Amino acid sequence: MVKFFQHTFKYEYNWESVTLAFWLRYPNPFASHVESVDVIDRYVDPNTGVLRTTRLILKRGVLPKWGKGLIKNPEAYIIEESMVNPKNKTMITLTKNVTHARVMQVEEWQTYQVDLNNREFTQVKTEARIISNFGWGLTDHVELFGIKKFADNTVKSRKGMSHVLEMIREKRGRGFLTV
Amino acid sequence: MSQSIGSQCNELKKEYDECFNKWYSEKFLKGDIRPECEELFKKYKDCVMNAVKQKQIDKLLVEARKDDPFTSSNSENKGKS
Repeated sequence: MVKFFQHTFKYEYNWESVTLAFWLRYPNPFASHVESVDVIDRYVDPNTGVLRTTRLILKRGVLPKWGKGLIKNPEAYIIEESMVNPKNKTMITLTKNVTHARVMQVEEWQTYQVDLNNREFTQVKTEARIISNFGWGLTDHVELFGIKKFADNTVKSRKGMSHVLEMIREKRGRGFLTV
Repeated sequence: MSQSIGSQCNELKKEYDECFNKWYSEKFLKGDIRPECEELFKKYKDCVMNAVKQKQIDKLLVEARKDDPFTSSNSENKGKS
């Protein structure tokens, strides 16, 4: 059983700032559930000039009542894979949970590109796939919870990014950053 | 700055993150793709990998990363749009 979710959003900041904010987005006041963020792999592909990064993120999950019996340990490890191509100004990210994948697997793809109508803005396309193989009549429950949670989280993560972008703008104003 | 999974790695993480953020905004985004911060990254990564082993999530990580998501046909479609 699979459910899909898709939307696009525009940040009123240039692509360079938005991709920097992606690295800096934790901690922020809208992500108190994020415990740790670590880079576990990172390199520039010498042939393409693309920056590849893998990060491991630990989140302390908030579970619905029916989930508390299913998951003893409410912490979730998330893998975030990304590629940044500075030539065509495209950043693609994939985030997925590595723990509790039997209950629910959430895969989120995001594509960050320069907004075609305003080169100073950035368009982000988000596509998510939520899969649950749980059975026992719970699958729909799990997936609908996943979709709702996902939509809530999308709003929160946008607020978090905007918060970090505002900080970047301030720092740039004071000459600390040159993007 | 965010915390590391291993509290013993926080200092190494901070040093590495600072180096990376500077390199990313001042060099990489401006077309100079020559890597920097490699030494700092190696120290930091070794520390994180030890913490990952201690928490016994190393096998899960290997499993989750066995396919490269960006070389599959899936990512080619995602890259177009």
